[in-house]
Amino acid sequence: MKEEFLGYVRPDGTVGIRNQVLIIPGSFEAQKVCEAVRGTVMLNNADLGIGRTPEDRETIARVRAGLGRNPNIYGAVVLGLGEADQKQLAYMRLADDIEASGKPVIRIGENGAGSGWDGIAAASKAAARLVWQASRERRQPVPLSKLSIAVKCGSSDPFSGLAGNPAVGHLFDRVVAAGGIAIFGETTEIIGAEHELVERCVTPAVAKKLMDAVERQEQLAHSIGQDIREMNPVPENIKAGISTLEEKSLGAVHKAGTAPIQDVLDYGEVPTGKGLYFMDSYISHTSVFLGFAASGAPLVLFQLGGGGYDRQTLTGGSAVVAPEMWCTGNPRTAERLADSIDFSAAPVIDAGEPLEQAGERLLQAVLDIASGTMTKSEVIRYIEPLEMYLPGPTF
Amino acid sequence: MDPVRAIRLDPQDTVAAVLADAPAGVEIAAECGDDLRTVTAVEEIPFGFKVALEDVVEGGTVRKYGAPIGRASQPIKAGQLVHIHNLEGIRGRGDLAGTAE
Repeated sequence: MKEEFLGYVRPDGTVGIRNQVLIIPGSFEAQKVCEAVRGTVMLNNADLGIGRTPEDRETIARVRAGLGRNPNIYGAVVLGLGEADQKQLAYMRLADDIEASGKPVIRIGENGAGSGWDGIAAASKAAARLVWQASRERRQPVPLSKLSIAVKCGSSDPFSGLAGNPAVGHLFDRVVAAGGIAIFGETTEIIGAEHELVERCVTPAVAKKLMDAVERQEQLAHSIGQDIREMNPVPENIKAGISTLEEKSLGAVHKAGTAPIQDVLDYGEVPTGKGLYFMDSYISHTSVFLGFAASGAPLVLFQLGGGGYDRQTLTGGSAVVAPEMWCTGNPRTAERLADSIDFSAAPVIDAGEPLEQAGERLLQAVLDIASGTMTKSEVIRYIEPLEMYLPGPTF
Repeated sequence: MDPVRAIRLDPQDTVAAVLADAPAGVEIAAECGDDLRTVTAVEEIPFGFKVALEDVVEGGTVRKYGAPIGRASQPIKAGQLVHIHNLEGIRGRGDLAGTAE
């Protein structure tokens, strides 16, 4: 079994699995640049933090810079923003943050210059130059220890907890044992399963951070006087046979494997070490994957139940700079969503495959995709409109 | 008719997930490694849904994955479907906040 992949080694030592140029911030201008120049991506979200708290504005800046620092990005073109916008967002440092990782960054004017039609022309020219440079990069063999990977489970059903998530858990254990980084999240979906996770935190301080995050989410439900089941489990989960949040959570945490939890990350925060990390976040896929990519993960896994689906789903994913790999443990989902599913652990359910073996198959599939094989969602030219996790009040 | 297979991940679990649609009257064989428990479905248990392996009194704890997943909101008999009509979560119950639990 191989334990290496072919990746792009970046100046800061991180390893990408794709080689793209990021155009930021998201805007009409950025979209026109992406249409004109192959190999570019943009953030389909124009929220610059107007009327938001300093903490949330900081998150917006951190996520945008994090996407630029993601190892799948060769370099970035930063379009001009007005002086007031830059203050609003603590944005001045965006280009600097990306450049600090050693990547080429081209700034298109400052203080209002480089926007509008002129901005489109200048940024397109800059993007074309960067993309050409990027094409001269070559993949090289790197060990599994250089991989960073993140998972969210979605449309959970009973087979998520029995096959799909445990297979991902095995993969996570292998990545962590090799010296890589593995990230999971969705704070609401550890409610009812936190007892096991807390024991795995490396220090009492990390354990407290995890419990604080869980308690904050549960208190939120209490403060609005709602049964959390009005929000979670979602109707799709219930339709597939999941009855309570505790049941969903207990199935969900299997995706985290068994490794010690090194730290609780803020949304889009980059881990400072190696190993398993938890990212404080809410459950929407349009938000979680983006945070994972901003935390530096070049590949994100969507571990799908799908038992409550009665339709096909096509999407280009929502991590922008990181391809989304779809997995399932449900045999019926594997069949119905064959055009979207990259890996199936369903043989665990219908063919008696040992979980460990499914996990090893998943590892090989991940290494293959990390080496350049496209995911099925990656083939589609569509990126979901994005939302960051911004829990603060708006004014 | 052959028994319908079901899975439980922990020997203490009081429910198991069936691996095929189980019509009423069929025998369900719930594996947990080498430990096998059987129960007769008293109603239809759809693919992936939970069947009760033993009786649970109203208010009693229902266990899956080796941990509590909620409490019985009405008495549950072995062989019955366990879902939102007879099982309720305990966590995040803002609707009960301030009342004794």
